[in-house]
Order: sequence, then C-alpha cells, then structure tokens
Amino acid sequence: MAPPWGRWVLGILLVVGGGLLIVFSALLGAVDIPVRLGLQILLNEISGGRLFPQSCAGTGTSAARCPVYTFIVWNLYLPEVLLALIVGAALGLAGGSLQGVFRNPLADPFLLGISSGGTLGAAIFYVYRVGVANADLYLPVFAFVGAVSTGLLILAVARGRYSSVETLLLTGVALANLLSAILSLVLLYNPTGSEQVTFWLLGGLGLADWQVDGIAFGTVLALGTLLCLYGRELNLLQLGSDVAQSAGVDAAAVRLRVILLASLITAVAVAFTGIIGFVGLVSPHIVRRIAGTDYRIVIPGSAAIGALFLLSARDISYLAFPGSLLPLGIFTAFAGVPFFLYLLYRQRRSAPMGGP
Amino acid sequence: MTTPSPAVRVTDLGVRYGTRVALHAVDFEVPRGQFVALTGPNGSGKTTLIRSLLGFLTPDAGTVELFGTPVGRLSIRERARQVAWVPQEEVLRDDVPLRQYVLYGRYPHHHPLDRETEADHALASRILQEVGLADRADDGILSISGGERQRAILARALAQETPLLLLDEPTSHLDIAHQLDLLTRVRMLSRLRGVTVVAALHDLNLAARYADRIVVLSRGRRVADGTPRDVLSEDLLARVWGVAAELAIDARSGLPYLLPRSLITETRPAPSALAPGPVHVVGGGGAGAPILRALTEEGYRVTAGALHLLDTDAETADSLGVVAAVEAPFAPLSPDTRARHRVLLGEARAIIVAPFAVGPSNLANLEDLLPFARATPVIVLEPSPGTRLDFSEGAATRARDDLRSAGATFVADVPAAVREVARVLAGTLRESTTLPAQG
Repeated sequence: MAPPWGRWVLGILLVVGGGLLIVFSALLGAVDIPVRLGLQILLNEISGGRLFPQSCAGTGTSAARCPVYTFIVWNLYLPEVLLALIVGAALGLAGGSLQGVFRNPLADPFLLGISSGGTLGAAIFYVYRVGVANADLYLPVFAFVGAVSTGLLILAVARGRYSSVETLLLTGVALANLLSAILSLVLLYNPTGSEQVTFWLLGGLGLADWQVDGIAFGTVLALGTLLCLYGRELNLLQLGSDVAQSAGVDAAAVRLRVILLASLITAVAVAFTGIIGFVGLVSPHIVRRIAGTDYRIVIPGSAAIGALFLLSARDISYLAFPGSLLPLGIFTAFAGVPFFLYLLYRQRRSAPMGGP
Repeated sequence: MTTPSPAVRVTDLGVRYGTRVALHAVDFEVPRGQFVALTGPNGSGKTTLIRSLLGFLTPDAGTVELFGTPVGRLSIRERARQVAWVPQEEVLRDDVPLRQYVLYGRYPHHHPLDRETEADHALASRILQEVGLADRADDGILSISGGERQRAILARALAQETPLLLLDEPTSHLDIAHQLDLLTRVRMLSRLRGVTVVAALHDLNLAARYADRIVVLSRGRRVADGTPRDVLSEDLLARVWGVAAELAIDARSGLPYLLPRSLITETRPAPSALAPGPVHVVGGGGAGAPILRALTEEGYRVTAGALHLLDTDAETADSLGVVAAVEAPFAPLSPDTRARHRVLLGEARAIIVAPFAVGPSNLANLEDLLPFARATPVIVLEPSPGTRLDFSEGAATRARDDLRSAGATFVADVPAAVREVARVLAGTLRESTTLPAQG
C-alpha cells in the first residue's frame, strides 16, 4: 500500500518538478537558446511586454536577431512543449481510466488498438478528402470515429463472460494489426497521402502551433474533467460489476461512458500527434505507486504524470539527437516496453486478473 | 391502519438460464426484522434467488418486491439504499485502506460531486468497531486475514445503511470460529437495528443456530419453510440432500442439529442399470460384514438392517455405500428404525440372515423379517458349530425355526449364500426382463 503522505509527495513533485521541467523544455529545441535570453523572452511575452520591454537587452543578442529568437521560443518551442503536455495528459487520462474500467493494469489506448483505430480514421480522411473546406475540423472527427468504434469493439469483447487479461490484450493486438493492414491497403492504392500518414504512424509534435494547442487544450480539458468525475464509480468497479451495482453504481452505463470518453480523448491525441504508445500504460502505475489506488487521485494524477512523461520524451529526443525532433513514439516505446514486460512478468507470478 | 409491507415479497418467481430452470414458482415472504436462512443443495437456486432480490436478474415469471415496491422499478441507486449484499467473496486487487473500503458503501447516499462528510467518516468508524476491525482501519484490505476480510465486506455492506441485508454463503471460505463470529455479529446487528437479513447458508446446522426461519430450496422449488425446529428433520436431509443423518437436540441451546451419517446410494453410481437386487442383509455385530462385502463385490444392489451405529456391520455398510436402517448405539430398535427396516425388507428381492447374536435389543430384526419370508426368498447362514447366538432366552431360536418352516434356505458359509442368491435372482431377473416395466 502506498504511504499516506504519498499524495503530498505527488503534488509537490508535480508542481515543483513540473514547473522546472516546463521552463527548461521551453528553452530546448533544434536551435540553442541562451538561458537568460530565453527566460526574458518568455517573461516578456507572458507579461505582454511589461517586464522586459527589450527581450534581448543584456543578453548580447543583436536587436535584429531578437524577433527571430522570440519567434523560435514563443511560436515554435512553447507550442511544442504545451502540445506535449496536453497530449501526454490526454494519454495518461485515457490509460488511467481504461485500466479502471477493464480492471486491468495492462490496459492502454495504444495496446488496445484504440490509437490505431484513430489513425486509420485520420488516414482515411487524408487520403479520400475531396474538396473538404474545413480540414482542421473534419480530421479530428474521422479520428474520433476510428478510435471510438475500436473502443466499443474492445468493450464488447471485454464484456464476454470468459474474457481475461490475455483475451483483452490479444484482441487489442489483433485489432491493431487488422487496422494497420487496412491502412496499408488504403495507402497502397493512394500513394499520394502516404507521406502525411507516416507522420501519424510514428507520432510527433510537428503540428504544434497556438491554434492546434488551443483546440487540443479545450477538448482535453473538457473530456478530462468528465473522466475525473468517474473516480468514485471506478473505485467501486474494482470490486466487480455485481458488487459495484449492489452499492448503487450503474456498472454498464459507467463502463460505456468511460470507454467512450477515453476513446474520444485518445482520438484528440491521435488527431494532433499520431500514435504515441505506452504513456497511458506507465503513468497510472507511477501514480498508484506513489499515491495509492484511489481513482479520484489516479485519473488526474495520470494526466499530470503523462504530461511530464511525454514532455521528457521530447526533451530526451533533443538532448540525445540535437538539431531535430525525432518521432516521440520511439522514446516512449523505449521506456514503456521494458515496463510493460515487467508488469506482465509480475502479474504472471501473482494472482490472475479477471475480466471486468 | 394497514400493516407495513414486508421487507421481501416474492410471488410465483421463475428464472431460467437458457433451458435450465433455476427457480420455479417460488413464493417467499420475509417480514421486517426477520433473519431468514436460505438453504438447499448446490444448484438448488439459493444464489439465483438472492440475485433476483438484488435485481440482478430479470425473472421469466413472477414478481419481486422490496418493501412494497417492485425491485425492477427502483433505480440502481435507490435499490442500493434498500438492499445491501455480502457476496461469497470479493476479488480484491487493490490494497485499499479498510476505512476507505468501508466508505465505498456510502456511494448510494451521495451525489456525484459530493465528498465524504464527517458523518460518513464517523459512521465508518462505528461500523468498523461493530465488526471488530476498529484497530485495522488504516491497514490495507489485502493485508488482513480471510476472516477479517469477510467482516470488512460486511462492514462495507452495512455502510449502505439499508433495511435489508442479503448474504450469499458469507461463511463458506471461513473456518468454524470465523463462521460463528460472522453470523453472531450479523444476528446481533439484525436484532439491534431491526435489519431484515436473508442469508444463503448451505450449512443447515449454522442456519438452525442463527436464523429465525429456514427456507429450503431444492431444484429451484421451495420445499420447506419454517422455524429450525419445524424444518430440520432426517427426512428432509434424505429427500433434499440424499444424505442419511440423525437429528438430535442440542441440550444447551434447545436447537435441533443434524449429524450426517452417509450418502444415500441413489446418488452413487449404481453397479449397472440392470444390477440385480436389492439383496437385503439382516445382521449385526460384524456377522453381516463378510456378506455385505461379497455381495457388493458381485455387483448386487445391497441393503442392510437394522444395525446399531458404530457396530462393525454398520461401519461396513457405510463404507460400502450400502443403505441401512440404523439405530443409536446399544439402544433397543425404535419403532421408527423398525419401520425403515421394514421398507428395506419389502423392497428386497432376496434376504440373507447373517449368523448374528440376537439379544433383546435386536430380536425385533427377526420378528420383522418373518412376514416377508413367505413372499421373498430368505437365505439363512448357519452359525459355525459351537457358537452361541441366542441371548434372548430361546426367542431367537424359535424365530429361526419359524423361518425354516416358512421355506427359508439354510446354507453353511458365505460363498454358498452368494451362490444361492445368484440362483434365486436369476429366476426373478428372467421374469423381470420378460415382463413390461411397471410404472
């Protein structure tokens, strides 16, 4: 059992560590930004020009280059950082709530194939859009449809009487493979769209700008808030559907709504950054380890940890391979796969896990 | 003024799983405040009835009302304020602190955005105290023992503060001390708070000890209903469970209890559908044991009587699965035992009389046998020379003479008796195969 002071540790860790990480990340990117210059630019932009009328004063940067640096920090790095935070939070929220619904610590939107469903939806839109005026609006809709239908399919399988962890995960793997086969077929016949689609398959922050961030933030905030309201019901669902129902939880309705919300929030992540795996798997475990198994804490906690996890992945990419941002799915997989195997191994040795 | 509606009213309830009938036309009413034990063999419908009361199942026929309202008309949340459930076990995965776990029971009393109040915490503390877990409140639920965990589950159910509490085999995973402890607490809470309790218990003796009333289900039907004194009987155990048992009254509590003795062979695999028999052995004191073994070995259906408990013949019969009319040790044969013995004698196709010592306590064996000797072949084993069998002042010797004159065959040893049985039954078997089966 996690220590009783774990929640405070988690809170302090997130506020202090998270704050420092965000500032550090905003100065990190393809081009090196001197720390003092970067901080002045940030403070100046945030304060609307009141704190440092001359962002670059005293940093040895010429006035001519100042707008370039300002543009880099404010319009390239910061949106990228914020999108990493938003998408990481979305994936953490999806993972935390899916693990609760499926009563299964190996649930994750990526492993269950929900991300692949979203990607297929996005790809189909990209390949077949014919004269659609409002691309920014329709792309997420297609991703939603793909992700949500995959989520519901998984739910149907998971509700089968004899479903186990293995059934659930294998179904996810099988579905993901089927979806990627369909995707390959679509791309084979429509080679023109394949370049953009590759972006989704690898997952990255390349679309980040203030507008994308704004849309992503709004939807993730709304969906995430709704998910956080189900903490109490998810706590009771851990005791089994029957017990939960005897205690007043409409288990079937809660399950459907949470999976729907988790699929939608996954779709947001997929629509803007493509497939990024394992964030949803790892984050809830970290929260549970530190702050206990109360889902009222696990879900928002997973959002915070997921945000910092994905941001760290971005930073590690820049630090390890300076000059350009590699697809983030690579880094989350490096961290997530060993963790997944560890969980699988530990679970094999301890009690078997039931279906929902 | 109208009387308040009962806590539970089940009318003509029918539930099917596919083609299997789980409950059939069950009527069942529980007045407020009563502690009812629901009992019956595995698969008799106890759990199905409990689940129907919880509204987990949609019945195929009939109605279920809780406090006058059909259970299906209550929302899940309203239902959880009327009825709480202690399942047989809960698969617990997360090491939730006990206090938190008990607070889960407050869910139906909260609105979605409410937090637990001071009153909730006070209630949780009080309930933890009542179930004897006050000092474990901060421990994780996975770190406590099985007995404590079952009490924790009870505490969570009690936190729902419902007027009706359903328990489904709450003690089946507990040792005897924890069984008594849990049921004592449940009964006390039922008395103190006027909570109506319906508990599925497969242990009849536990049911008799704690419940005001016992309802017995068998194959989905209600077959007995009443106070423990009215319901518990040897006949019930034989009919419903297929177990031969003795009924006794506990001198201390005045409550009846059953002492199971043996499985009644109906449920055992018969040697074969056409196994000849039954062959009845009258014996005692170990004289019948070799005959029982030989006949069983040959594949006959065998019965025995009237034997005294703990005697070698009775133990042998028990171990061979031979149905026997059994009397308490050293007691004279009671009218009841004699009646059961006569039933077995009447069903027998052949009767073997073992060379057993006859005294006043078992002379009735021979007396009961005589009337059957005219219709049924009787084979009498001669005692080995010089053995005294008559301890009944000549009555036993006279009875043997009567058997001889009634046409009984006398043989010298067990193999001869078995051969004689084969000869006698071969005739009846041919008859029975040529005759149409009788209803």
